[in-house]
Parts: sequence; structure tokens; C-alpha cells
Amino acid sequence: MASGPLETYSPSQTLERRHQQQKRKSFNEIDWARSDGRNFHQCRPAYLRTGATSSASGSAYAEFGSTKVIVSVFGPRESKKAMMYSDVGRLNCNVSYTTFSTSTRGQGSDNKDFSSMLQKALEGAIILETFPKTTVDIFALVLESAGGDLPIIISCASLALADAGIMMYDLVSAVSLSCFGKNLVIDPTSEEEACQDGSLMIAYMPIRNEVTQFTLTGEWSTAKINEAMELCLEACSKLSNILRSCLKENVLGFTD
Amino acid sequence: MKELLISLNQTQKVRLQAALQHLAELASQVSSSNLAVTVADTIPVNNEDGILKGHGTTEFDGQVVATLCGIVERVNKLVYVRTLRARYKPEVGDIIVGRVIEIAPKRWRLEINFSQDAVLMLQSMNLPDGIQRRRTAVDELNMRSIFEENDVVCAEVRGFQHDGSLHLQARSQKYGKLERGQLLIIPAYLVKRRKQHFHHLEQYGLDLILGCNGFVWIGEHAEPIDSEVLEDRDKIPKDKQRDTPLEVRRNICRISNSVRLLSALGFALSVEAIVDTAEASKSSNVDIKDMLGAEFYVQTAEREVQRRASLLRKKRFV
Repeated sequence: MASGPLETYSPSQTLERRHQQQKRKSFNEIDWARSDGRNFHQCRPAYLRTGATSSASGSAYAEFGSTKVIVSVFGPRESKKAMMYSDVGRLNCNVSYTTFSTSTRGQGSDNKDFSSMLQKALEGAIILETFPKTTVDIFALVLESAGGDLPIIISCASLALADAGIMMYDLVSAVSLSCFGKNLVIDPTSEEEACQDGSLMIAYMPIRNEVTQFTLTGEWSTAKINEAMELCLEACSKLSNILRSCLKENVLGFTD
Repeated sequence: MKELLISLNQTQKVRLQAALQHLAELASQVSSSNLAVTVADTIPVNNEDGILKGHGTTEFDGQVVATLCGIVERVNKLVYVRTLRARYKPEVGDIIVGRVIEIAPKRWRLEINFSQDAVLMLQSMNLPDGIQRRRTAVDELNMRSIFEENDVVCAEVRGFQHDGSLHLQARSQKYGKLERGQLLIIPAYLVKRRKQHFHHLEQYGLDLILGCNGFVWIGEHAEPIDSEVLEDRDKIPKDKQRDTPLEVRRNICRISNSVRLLSALGFALSVEAIVDTAEASKSSNVDIKDMLGAEFYVQTAEREVQRRASLLRKKRFV
């Protein structure tokens, strides 16, 4: 009678599930190769460009590996009447996915979680006191999602804000990291994200040495967190240099 | 801000490159420090005392740090960042062109490319009959007969209210509704503040208004109307009011295309430059529609190089 729950009910072993479990096992081994041939501590090559959309006040396009994102910034423009008076500016973020962004074709959708996280990550960097009574709208569109979407959106959005001429303390660059047993894998692809044991994301302002957002999920030990944070912060500073050189090119292009 | 999409062929590309290169060299001769900064770059001030931190700067760790992308400008002790792609920042006395977006009690709201809508109060506006008096409720009801939604209006920046909102005034005959013409919206940094923003181009029969906010109006010339004449005009039946002649319409298009061209090239707008471009297009028999083509685009860049080079030479002789 007391045969345990396993015999009365066991989840169906579909092919897909078995496949995923196998993969998970392989990720937990000490040494394995990443699908795109990177080291564990190597980020994907970044391509950044400002001025992707002509009608916005500022915009940027980012391509990290095969993750592709467009961010457009509108404003600052006068807040809607229904909103209460405020002597600091507001930030309104919206992250949406195209229908063809993932391998399974679906309906393009808004991502509420990412929208609020994007807002929180950028709020600390923008000098909101400089535009009272007004709103800045940030629209991020993920053209292709292949892992690390949110950090890429954040970095791209800070570039678009700088392009729009909105006062900021510093550029925000963000990097995520996955934990697989003993291994720390920086800038994970969506395949790796699906099987991770834990994840960490940092949004960071390198020159001010301030963190605007920190997200940690899964099981971690303190030593691991320390190691992971150091890796992320270093990657953030490097990414910030890339953002800066992109902006500089832009400014110099204008003065010609 | 729509940019022109121009497909250049190989020789045109090379010529444009050379012209832009030349311009950069000329610019570096005029002012030696053209420092471009991005967000959070430190601005070198050589530890001078009493530096004033202007627009787009903040202090961090005892250093002056930029909060915007742009060019560092210095006026004596004041250090500020001039942005290239940002909204218009109004100053008191600026002449602006805007579009009415809403009629609210006793005021019009205007879109002027500022972060907020500008407000034009009924009381800071000359009434059409020209009589100075208190505005009554009847005047308030008749506001739509002065400006309607989507009308293009020219006004002057009066000042900021304590809550940061921007007020305009239009207390002269030269301000008011703009009709029979074209409105162009270009980046605000291309219009420099001058003594004169209203221009009457007599040879074309046009009015040109370079709004400090980057709104440029090109319209048929209209004589400022005195209040006495105005009464006479009301007696003329509506259908007698004439149409804009074809020649003037062509001129409007030619001038507006030269504004478009200059702003696409990123050259500062002045009447001289605009008229010069229009004249050049006429003398070399370029059609109005071909003014935005690749060949004339490159020619304009080359002409600008010559103009600046000759300016520089003149300066040296003096």
C-alpha cells in the first residue's frame, strides 16, 4: 500500500523532457563546450549603433550575438493631465517582443516584468529633477531573443537616452551571468538560461562606481556571489567603454 | 527630424568626403578646443577656482562631469555642454514658431519642441481690433476665431512661471498667425540667436522666419496690417481674397528645399546661406525637385567650404 508517490504518479517522460534532462546533466559536468565556442568568462561580441529610428528623439540598436534589440526614446514630453503634478520627471518603459523573436512562433507580447525592471535600472542614472512635469517614454523592441535580453535592453536604453540628450549621471551597462553547479558562465544564451541553476544580473555605472540594479535567483553560496559579481562588474566596465566609443563617434560625426 | 536619404555614386562620395574633411580642418583653425564629451566624461578645468558649472554639467569627486553628450563650450568662467541632438531650451526673448495643439480656458497651448507645451495667454496677446482693454468672457469665447487648433503661430518667449511652465507673448503686429506657407522642422541647434529672425526676401516676395526652436516658416509676404486697414479689409468679401500665385508657390518650395538641404548637411542656417543656396540652384538651372538630389547636395557642401575659406582669409587680412 505504501508504495510512495513515485509509483502512483510519475511525470510523463516525453522526448523533450528527456532531452532537457540530458542537457542539464551535461551542463553540470565540470568541463563542457559552449555552443558558440566561447570561454565561460567570455561575452558575446557587441554591435551598437545610435539613431536607429528617425522619428524618436533618441534611439539605439544593439546586437549581442544573435540577440537583437531596438530601443527608442521619446520626450521629455508633457505628462498626461490625469497624472498628478510632480516636480521630478517620470520614466515610462515598455518592453515588447516581436512575433518572430523566439524559435517558437507566437504572438508578440509586452513583457511587464522586464518593463518595470528596465525602469528601476535606469531611474537611478537619469537626473529626473531636470525635467519636472514631464515624461520620458522608452520603448524597447526585441527583434530576436537569444538570451540575456534584459541586460542588453538596459545597456541599449541608456545609449538611446544619451542620444536623446537626456541628462544622466553615467551610462548604465548591464551584464547577466548563469551558474551551473561549480561553473559560472557569463552572458548566457537562451539555451543555457533554460538549464541554469541560478542567475545574476547587475546594472552598473562604472565611472560613479554605483550599482543601479541587482537581481539574483536560484541557489548561491556567498563565495560564488562574490566571484560572480566581480566578473560581472568587470564585464560592465568593458561594455561601458564600447557604449562610450559609440557615442563619441556620433558626436564627432555631427561636428564635421 | 527626418534626414534625407541620398544615394551618392563613387565620385560624389569622394568629393563629399573631401569637402567635409576640409570643413573639419577649417573649423579646427578657428577654435582650437573643440572638445567632444559623452555622459560622465570629466571636463578638464585645470583646477581653476570659481568655475561656474552650466547646463549639462555636474560635480562628482571634486571634478566637473558632463551629464550630456555634446561639445564643451566655455565663456570666461562658465563651462557648459552644448548638445547636438536635444530638445530646444528656451530663453527669454527668443522668437519662436509653434503649432497650436489645444485651446484651454484663457490660453492656447503650443507645441514648440520644448519638453513641455508652451502657453500663450489670451491677455498676453494683442486683440485683432487693436484696442487695449480687459479681456472679457466674450473674448474668451471668441478665442477660436483668433487661433484654431493646428494653426501655425509666431510668438516671443515671455518667461518661465514658478512651476517651470513656459509663457509666450505676441504683443506686436509682426507676431500672430502664419498663413500661406510652409513650416519646416529642423534641429534647433542649427538656428543661431540673432538680432533679426524675421526676414523679408523681396526678390522672392516671401517672408522667412527662423524660429529659435528649430521651426522655420516660409510663407508669402504679408504686410503688417494696421488696425484701421483691418476694418477696411473686413468689408472685402471673402471670395475676393486672392490665391497665392504660382510663382510665389514655386519660390516657397525653392527656399524650403534649400533649408532642408542645409539642415541635412548640418550647416547653421542664416538668411545669407539660404538665399545663396537658392540662387545657386537657380543659376545652375537645378529644378526645385532636383535640389534634394545627390549632385546638388555635394555642390552645396563644396560651396560652403569655399565660403568659409574666404571668410577665414578676410579675417586674416584684417
